[in-house]
Amino acid sequence: MLNPSEALIRIVDLHKSYYDGESELPVLRGIDLEIKTSELLAVVGASGVGKSTLLHIMGTLDRPTAGRVLYGDQDVFTLQDTELARFRNKEVGFIFQFHHLLPEFNALENVAMAALITTPNNKAIYEQAASLLEYVGLAERLSHYPGQLSGGERQRVAIARALINNPKIVLADEPTGNLDRRSSEAVHKLLWDLNTKSGQTFVIVTHNSELAEQVDRVVQLVDGKIF
Amino acid sequence: MKFEWFVASRYLRSRRKQSFISIISIISIGGVALGVATVILVIAVLDGVEHGLKDRFLSNEAHVALHIFDHSFFKGYQERIQRIEAIDNVVAASPVIFAQIGVFREHSNTIQGAIYIKGIDPVLEDKVTGFSTFVMGSTDFQNSELIEKAALMKQGETITGGIILGGRLATRLGVMKGDVLRLLIKLVDPGGLGTLTPDLANFVVIGFYESEMEAYDNNFGFIHIDTAQKLYNQENRVNFIFVRLTDAELAPQIATKIEDAADFSVLEGMPDTRTWMEAQAPLFSALQLEKIATVIIEALIILVASFNIASTLIMTVMEKTKDVGTLRTLGSSRGNIMRIFMIQGSVIGTLGTMIGTALGLALCWLLSTNAERPSYWYALALVVPISLQFLIASRHAMRTKGGWKLAVGTLWLIGIGFALYCAVRPISLVDLGLSQIYQMHHLPIKVNWVFVIFINLLSFAICWLATLYPAWQAANLKPVEALQHE
Repeated sequence: MLNPSEALIRIVDLHKSYYDGESELPVLRGIDLEIKTSELLAVVGASGVGKSTLLHIMGTLDRPTAGRVLYGDQDVFTLQDTELARFRNKEVGFIFQFHHLLPEFNALENVAMAALITTPNNKAIYEQAASLLEYVGLAERLSHYPGQLSGGERQRVAIARALINNPKIVLADEPTGNLDRRSSEAVHKLLWDLNTKSGQTFVIVTHNSELAEQVDRVVQLVDGKIF
Repeated sequence: MKFEWFVASRYLRSRRKQSFISIISIISIGGVALGVATVILVIAVLDGVEHGLKDRFLSNEAHVALHIFDHSFFKGYQERIQRIEAIDNVVAASPVIFAQIGVFREHSNTIQGAIYIKGIDPVLEDKVTGFSTFVMGSTDFQNSELIEKAALMKQGETITGGIILGGRLATRLGVMKGDVLRLLIKLVDPGGLGTLTPDLANFVVIGFYESEMEAYDNNFGFIHIDTAQKLYNQENRVNFIFVRLTDAELAPQIATKIEDAADFSVLEGMPDTRTWMEAQAPLFSALQLEKIATVIIEALIILVASFNIASTLIMTVMEKTKDVGTLRTLGSSRGNIMRIFMIQGSVIGTLGTMIGTALGLALCWLLSTNAERPSYWYALALVVPISLQFLIASRHAMRTKGGWKLAVGTLWLIGIGFALYCAVRPISLVDLGLSQIYQMHHLPIKVNWVFVIFINLLSFAICWLATLYPAWQAANLKPVEALQHE
């Protein structure tokens, strides 16, 4: 057991079931997990075992059936929708298997979007977004729309987007699952680099064994429990 | 709200490949605009017709007519008129002998028709019905040259006085100014033997009454009140008092006061009044009914347009489900999402209402302004290339630059405006053969500003309500499900 001050996130006896009419389909059956600040954690496991569900609940996108998720001492699921949205906005960055960029907005606007929710039209935000895009190697692509970018470029824009509000934790769901080998390696490099430089916490759900070998800690999800 | 505007405006413009949606927003805006424009135009026409008819009716019709219920004669009308004129909002009152008589033409022994005859004091009548403004010729019933001339021509026959005939009636009877008409006033028994003979009086036509009101021009003759009193042996008596008010709409309230002021004795009979509204009730209640029906139909048109907005938004929400998921992931609250879609719908509703109001008022103006217009061919010559350009542009919208788009849009607007200016003109009722019935030369237009504001508010409200469900639906999408939506 970690000292509470060391733990960024504590997940306590987390249960999640899906309901299809009368029948209950339990996915997570009592997860206990603690994640340290600056830790690079990989969650592995077979398809459909509930890795994404766990990640979504950690990111407050979904609510658990039972159990708690504590950020510091804050049980996030006691928050109202607006507070929860604000929390997600400030503290959590998401990277998905599919880039999920907004097609009507260019790369710069996509990266800036999360910051614009609370402070619209801020020039400093666009400057920061531009420097993030530069950092992920897309300085020349600021005004390109997602449709004009390659798969690897889109994913790098998505990474830059996750970082705009300088979140404590970045949750990545198969970030390279949809990329070819070369693009995957570039994205991996970027993630390690970020983790060492900024000290942000990363939780990465992956199938990729190569990726899993390079992280601080790997947890395996089997039958809705952590091993 | 700035963040919501940022996203909503982008979704409305939808500049990249989903130009589909922006065309849908154009159609939605057009739907609202057409609805609002037709409401404004149709109501302006109906108001115009009603106003025109009222103007016509009231131009030469007394607002209230006082009489005894069986139209019998009464005396002391001078004092009664004084009392009536003392009532608030009464402008003037005029004594009248009102009757129906038979008409013979000169040298003819058959009755040519029955007409209404009004025995009036021209000076007093002028104040009540603007009598003299409608008369072509003299209004001097007693001393006209024409009477002397006619008397000279008809040696041995007395000329009782002058008569002013309704213009169409004169045409029907085939009489000209200076001709003599014989009026059958009543039957008399000169020998006291029970043999009735008609008491005929000769009148010389001294002028024509041209009010463009079919009911008057085709059926009325006017003679002097003194002459009428003599003919009917009713010295110092009349059977009607006509009254003009400051405001015609007050007629029903004032009518009862007039009855009280008349103060008829039991022997004289029951007082009765007839307002102009009662006289024209069938027509105006039909107009009123028509207007109510129109407002209901037009409200339904706007409702249909609002369904258009709702379905546009529902489609947008469906199309943007994944984006909603993304925005929720980035930390947008339900409120943020709801407002994004409500702004989108409100912008469609507001633009549609504004364009519709402008279009409706422009059409009203064009339909009511008589001016030399360029040929219809200009309109055709403009509309064809504009439509072609629009079709081409909508297929290549992605390639055009912002400034170029603005320039083309401005040119379109000017072109469409000029085409409308060429094509939309006052509709001539004369050409349609309707001027006789409506007594108007052009389709009348009267913009009721209060109604325009009302329709604007109604349209805003309906459009805003139409945004609620789709926006609520978008706000309540579950983030995870929305993200996985394909």
